[in-house]
Amino acid sequence: MEFKDYYAALGVSESATPEEIKKAYRKLARKYHPDVSKEANADEKFKDVGEAYEVLKDPEKRAEYDQIRKYGSRGEQFEPPPGWQSASGFGGGGYTEADARHFSDFFESIFGGGGASRHAGFGFRPQGPMRGEDVHARLALFLEEAFNGCEKQVTFTVHDSVDYSHLKARTKTLKVKIPPGMREGQHIRLKGQGSPGFNGGEPGDLFIEVELAPHPLFTVEGRDIVVTVPVTPWEAALGASVTVPTVGGKVNLKLPKGATTGRKLRLKGKGMPGKHPGDQIVVLQVVMPERHSDQAEALYQQLAELEGGFNPRSKLHV
Amino acid sequence: MTRKDSIQTVEVAEPQMTLTLTEICERGECHAEFVIKLVNYGIIAPVEDSLEERYWQFDLAALARLRKALRLQRDLKLNLPGLAMSLELLDEVQDMRREVNRLNQQLRQLMGEW
Repeated sequence: MEFKDYYAALGVSESATPEEIKKAYRKLARKYHPDVSKEANADEKFKDVGEAYEVLKDPEKRAEYDQIRKYGSRGEQFEPPPGWQSASGFGGGGYTEADARHFSDFFESIFGGGGASRHAGFGFRPQGPMRGEDVHARLALFLEEAFNGCEKQVTFTVHDSVDYSHLKARTKTLKVKIPPGMREGQHIRLKGQGSPGFNGGEPGDLFIEVELAPHPLFTVEGRDIVVTVPVTPWEAALGASVTVPTVGGKVNLKLPKGATTGRKLRLKGKGMPGKHPGDQIVVLQVVMPERHSDQAEALYQQLAELEGGFNPRSKLHV
Repeated sequence: MTRKDSIQTVEVAEPQMTLTLTEICERGECHAEFVIKLVNYGIIAPVEDSLEERYWQFDLAALARLRKALRLQRDLKLNLPGLAMSLELLDEVQDMRREVNRLNQQLRQLMGEW
C-alpha cells in the first residue's frame, strides 16, 4: 500500500503548529470542496486533505503518525510495523464528524483499530426495521441521448448490512431507461434501488442527476436548443429557404429578406421534447465565399455604386 | 470487498415526484428546523408556497440542494447567512461558466472554426 504524507497533503512542515494546520486545512477544504471546485480530481484531493487533517489535528494521532512516518516513508510500498496497534483507534469510541468509509487503506492500517472504522454501522442496536440508505449518482448523457431517451448503464456502490455494526460495500449495476427530454441538472429517482434495508426495512432509493456533454453544433438553454447557421450574403439579402439541422433531423427554414448576422429565428417545438417542448433558436451568421469570380466582383462593384450611401460604421462616427 | 450483481433494467416511473417536509428530512438526514431555516433564508423553496409547513412539497432539485447545503455546512463550518451567500455565489459561478462555454462555442462557430 502507498505511504501517505499528510504534511505534504496539507502543504505544511513537520513542525507546523495546530493553528497552522487548521489554517492550511480550511484553505484547502474551500479550494477542493467537490461542491465548489471544478478541478477534475477535486473529490480525491478533498478526501486526502480531510484524512490528513483528521490525523494531524489530533495530538495523539499526530504523534503516532510521526512515529510511523519515520518508520515507513522511505520505501515505495508501506506496511505498518509488525504488531502495530494504534492507541487512538478511530472507531474505538468518541465522537467524530469524519466518515471513515472515505479514508484510505493507509489510514485504515494505522488507525483502523480492529477493523471497526470502515465498517462503521448504525452505532446503536435498532429495534425495528431500518430503511436502507439512499444513493446519489450523476449520469452524463450526449444531447442526442437526452433528446431521444436512451438506456444507460449506471454503476454505483450500495452498502449491505452484515449485522448491527458492519456494512459491506457492493457494486451494483442497473440499466436505466431514460425518458426523452431530460435536461442538465434534472433529477430522477429510482425507487428501491439504493442500499437494502435492515431488519425488514425497505430499501433506499437511487437518485440520478443528469449532466449533458457539450455538443459540437448545439447548445442547450433550458428547454431551448441553440444552433448557429451560416448563410450566404445573397440568401441574407434576398431571403431564402435553407435546410438547418435540429437534433430531431433536418428541417427547412424560411429566411426573411434582409437578415443579418446574429439575428435569431425560432423553430417552434423543435427544442427539448416534453409536456411543454422547447424551441430551436437559429442564430444566423452571414459568411463570404473565400474567392469571387471576376463576374461576381464586377457585380459587387455595381452594388457598391448603387448602395454607396450606406455607411456600416456610422455608429463609430467615421 | 465488492461483488457484482446481475444487471437489471429499470424504468423511470415518476420523474416529477415531490417530498413532504418529513420525507425531505429523512432523505437529507437532518432536522425539520434546519429545512425550515433554509426555506426562510431562501436557500431552498417548496414547489408551491404555503404558509403551513405541513403542506410543503419539495422537488428532487431541492433535496439535492439541501444535501449540498449540509455538506458545505459540515465541511466548511458555514453559518446560515454564509451558507445562503455561498450557494447563491456558486449558482452564479455555475451560470457564468455555462454562459462562457456557450459564448465560446458560438464565437468558434462565428470565426468559422467548426
